[in-house]
Amino acid sequence: MPDRKLRLKRMMFNIASLVDLGQEVSSSKDLSDKMKSALYVVSGTFSVPSASLYAYDGKRKCLRLLADKGHKDRTRQVSRLKVLAGHIRKFPVNEPHPVRELAKSPFYKLNSGAFTALQVRIFIPLFAKDEFVGALALGKKIGRTPFRSSDKDILRVIAHQLAITLHNTRLFRELARKAAENKKLYENMRHIYQDTIQAFAAAIDAKDEYTKNHSFRVASYAVAIARELGWKKNDVEGLYVAGLLHDIGKIIIDREIINKGEALTGLETSEIKKHPQISYNILSKIKFPWKNIEHLVRHHHERMDGKGYPDSLCATELSEGVRILALADAFDAMTTDRPYRHKLGLDEAFREVLSCSGTQFDEHIARTFFNLLLRELSGEVRDLQILPHLRQNDPSAFPALKPGANS
Amino acid sequence: MSNFSLALRSAQDVAVMTPAGYINDLGAERLEQTSDQFLDEGLRKIIVNFANVQHINTLGLSIFTGIVQKTIDYDGTLCFTNLKKVHRDIFEMVGLIEHVRIFKEEKDALMFLIEKG
Repeated sequence: MPDRKLRLKRMMFNIASLVDLGQEVSSSKDLSDKMKSALYVVSGTFSVPSASLYAYDGKRKCLRLLADKGHKDRTRQVSRLKVLAGHIRKFPVNEPHPVRELAKSPFYKLNSGAFTALQVRIFIPLFAKDEFVGALALGKKIGRTPFRSSDKDILRVIAHQLAITLHNTRLFRELARKAAENKKLYENMRHIYQDTIQAFAAAIDAKDEYTKNHSFRVASYAVAIARELGWKKNDVEGLYVAGLLHDIGKIIIDREIINKGEALTGLETSEIKKHPQISYNILSKIKFPWKNIEHLVRHHHERMDGKGYPDSLCATELSEGVRILALADAFDAMTTDRPYRHKLGLDEAFREVLSCSGTQFDEHIARTFFNLLLRELSGEVRDLQILPHLRQNDPSAFPALKPGANS
Repeated sequence: MSNFSLALRSAQDVAVMTPAGYINDLGAERLEQTSDQFLDEGLRKIIVNFANVQHINTLGLSIFTGIVQKTIDYDGTLCFTNLKKVHRDIFEMVGLIEHVRIFKEEKDALMFLIEKG
């Protein structure tokens, strides 16, 4: 083949090699396979049967073997090359070095055994953004032909590509580690947050001796309904928080009014009716990670027929969350003792809610709630969300059922 | 998934490997591993039939570089047959061709190797 034609073909071949290398280093393979493939591309480009690629480990001050070709039996001997800071300072960046030039260097002397085992002919320290990231070691070419200056030109480009890949992988791993740390921190913060909210709820309920755990039950019923309606997990969480905090405004209501054992006067009733607004005022200053907590809390005493308070909103103005909370709150009020009356039985509460469906409560939500409760009572549902709370209030009325039993 | 497959057979003391598809990823390592195995087991005559090979990239060349080197180390004879011109040119350019025997057809390589003794 004429010389000029051969040179052109070789140039095209080198370009194709760089394309192959680019494809390998940008592939979605894991690092090990990626680097092995890249090493094979280098080996094929220069007809070098044996080659090794190392990554720099700054902690252990060594070059750790990342990929190898052609040293099957000797891999253990050459898995680490020791490298000191002084050596790195003297490495020329991404420059192919014939090993005979390295022979007098302290780095070579420290690793002469490995260099001999690897039968290295060319050694290239890899740098990315002035940071030492690894090294490429190539054995002899097949037929022992020498490395030409055009080979070294391509090797510099390849070295740069490999260095960037190693650098980016290290950055990505560091990023993933930090992301995992942050996630753990976030989870811890979330738990603290939730514990704080629950502590608030307990403080609210402690004011009213008859409604211990009322906020917790309302939150649980609301969550049961929301899940049954297919709400997203994050929104369910928000509704749970709204349930826990819906009565926070009662903190500033006179305890005597809250625990009064007889009918309230008009003044006392209007005092009690302030609590949703007060709850809203308190909670609207907090930046919750969930939307509309303050609105859910403000409107939990609204009614479908617009006769609720504080804003007399009607059905079309009430979000699904508000309707759920309203039902959950009312149901718990019915099924727990109050200072002014005893709790209703489940049948009575059921009839009361259904009779008020469409006026006070959303009919669909009421039916969803009671269908779920009936399924829990009949043992169809293993994951009980309503029954345990009813049992706590009245164990004799709701004995534990065996799984699969029908009511 | 690798678009590579490898058929093997032997004829007397000759191993015949017929790769097919694309020799362009680590899936084709089997080719080198298989030839290593033949050489380790004492076979010294290997034929690689390229009739069904569609594409070889630089990664694939690395595999053949390894096969050629090991055959040299074991003083074996490696024959390539049914080479497309484009593949032959590549092998020639990277300096592998001088270390292998080229035949048009597999049967020609077989006859040569059997007569070689």
